[in-house]
Amino acid sequence: MKRNTLTFTIGLLLVLIFGALLFMFQVRQTEVALVTTFGKPTRDYNTDPNKPEPGLKVKWPWPIQKVQKFDKRIQNFEDKFSETQTHDGKNVLVAVYAGWTISNPKLFRERFTGSIPRAEQSLGNLISDAKYAVVGKHPFSHFISTNPQELKFAQIESEIESRIKDAAQAQYGIRINFLGIKKLGLPENITQKVFDRMKEERGRVVAGIKAQGDSEANKIISAADRDRAEILSKADATAIEIHGKAEAEAAKAYEIFEKNPELALFLKKIDTLEQSTKERTTLILDQRTPPFDLLDGLQKTAPRKNP
Amino acid sequence: MSEPHDHHGHDHEAPIPAPISVEDSGSQALSEALRSSFGIVKIIMFVLVIVFIGSGIFTVPPNQKAVVLRFGKTSSATREQLLGPGLHWSWPYPIDEKVFIPISEIQTVTSSVGWYAINPDGTEPQAGQSLNPALDGYALTADGNIIHARVTLDYQITDPISYVLNFKDAKETVTNALDNALLDAAAQFNVDDAVRLERSAFKDKVVQLFSRAVEQQQLGIVVGSSKLESIPPRQVNEAFNAVTAAEQESSTTNNAAKSAASTMLSTALSESNSIVNTAISDRAKLLSSVRAESTNFLDRLPAYERNPQLFRQLLLTETWRKVLANAEDKEVMPDRADGKPRELRLQLNREPESDEYRARRQKQKAEQNPVTPPK
Repeated sequence: MKRNTLTFTIGLLLVLIFGALLFMFQVRQTEVALVTTFGKPTRDYNTDPNKPEPGLKVKWPWPIQKVQKFDKRIQNFEDKFSETQTHDGKNVLVAVYAGWTISNPKLFRERFTGSIPRAEQSLGNLISDAKYAVVGKHPFSHFISTNPQELKFAQIESEIESRIKDAAQAQYGIRINFLGIKKLGLPENITQKVFDRMKEERGRVVAGIKAQGDSEANKIISAADRDRAEILSKADATAIEIHGKAEAEAAKAYEIFEKNPELALFLKKIDTLEQSTKERTTLILDQRTPPFDLLDGLQKTAPRKNP
Repeated sequence: MSEPHDHHGHDHEAPIPAPISVEDSGSQALSEALRSSFGIVKIIMFVLVIVFIGSGIFTVPPNQKAVVLRFGKTSSATREQLLGPGLHWSWPYPIDEKVFIPISEIQTVTSSVGWYAINPDGTEPQAGQSLNPALDGYALTADGNIIHARVTLDYQITDPISYVLNFKDAKETVTNALDNALLDAAAQFNVDDAVRLERSAFKDKVVQLFSRAVEQQQLGIVVGSSKLESIPPRQVNEAFNAVTAAEQESSTTNNAAKSAASTMLSTALSESNSIVNTAISDRAKLLSSVRAESTNFLDRLPAYERNPQLFRQLLLTETWRKVLANAEDKEVMPDRADGKPRELRLQLNREPESDEYRARRQKQKAEQNPVTPPK
């Protein structure tokens, strides 16, 4: 009895496993699944990115229903680096990249028999057309500019994206998750012209730097000159002030001479005489000048003596 | 795979007891044989179950994490579910599935969309006349110039489930976003700013645009350190070097001017000091001479008042003595015989002054000029 129960349990378990294999299938988080009934698509799973529904699902066993799974993860697509014209007639090379996912497995299977390379080929054509159309609507200054109002880099990207978004969804069963410019360039012969222009520009920059440097140096020197003149004139003013004060003080001290102006004048004269004859002086005196007036007497007496 | 096989083994075990009642030595031997073979099958089955369950043991290597998908799904996308490094067990394949994630590892991505072609052996090919768009990458600056720019960026995966399960090749998506950010940022800077003056602002812009993009694309990563190289094209390198040289020259001129200016100022300051000091010492000199004069005056006043005539004569004579002693040449002209004064005619020939004498005289003049005692 006990043995039979065990056997029965194991048997039931095996039947369950077998049944599960026949009637159930799992959808990974990274996959979308399409169920076909007699080759005709009837249901899909896990296609909404906002409402993921991975896990175990039921189906009728083969040959009634069949499950086909596709990669749900975001695929990277890179466009060709191709030449086109901007609105103002400039030739530019632009390549875009896009992240895309399979959003409608039924349509995707129908269109590309589930082949990702074939899907990318069609997607490439779609993106190229949109790229040429959008780039042709914008002047070159929308691609490069220091002015944030002028620069439309992100806007150009979103215009391309919105242009293909609906078509990709409706025709290919593909969702464009994001799109951006991956390469931006100029035709090869233009690059050489750009180099020539850059060299010219550098020449101007060099001249500008030199001129500016010289004028700055001049400014520094002339400012210093001005400062020096100011300092010196201030010093002169201070000196004059000091002298003035000194003279005023001296004048006050001279008041004492009023006690006897005659003597004061006499002393001054004496002093002046002494000072002015200190050096390299030749004195020519006659005999009336004291003390040579003594000679006068001598002279008068001498002739009287001699004869 | 092995279930249908097991199923067969068990299904046959149940009907076996019925034929055993038959009294037949041949069938008895057969049932004996079957019994023993079922025993072997049971052992094999047991071993298979052990192997099946044991195959669920796995190791998460260091620097990695793992996430287990049960029937293809994670029950809730939280970090707690991540299995750290070490030994783990999960149900084997059809039930559970494990995905390894390089999480704590810092990932590095380089955008070389703006760099010129480099040979496979790492050497740089000679720069041509122009840039071939198929080979040489570059970025356009806001003023329509060409630069080469390359950015290397570290990032850390913060949402590993999204990073691994939502992207076919997340690393390539990250690279694309970085390429895009680099071009977009370069388009907003003039060439001088991009390669010389505002390189860090340029880098910050790249990182900012990149961070915004990866957030929008829900890559689940966080930007770490980054490095940006930006250079002018090699074809115009010389012209750019000339600018650097001019700048250096200009700064040399500037420094020279600055040092000349500071010399001028310090000279002016010391000159100014000496002017003021001279004035101060002149003042002291004047005052002391005035004081001396007045002292002299007061000293002599009583003597003068006693006998002015005598005082005058004495002092005059005394002074004369000094004057005469000092004088270099002295000529005494006696009166003519008729008692009238003699007439004297001098022919003066200006004697060239010696340098020493001139300097001394000027100095004396300078000392006397500013201070003229009042009359």
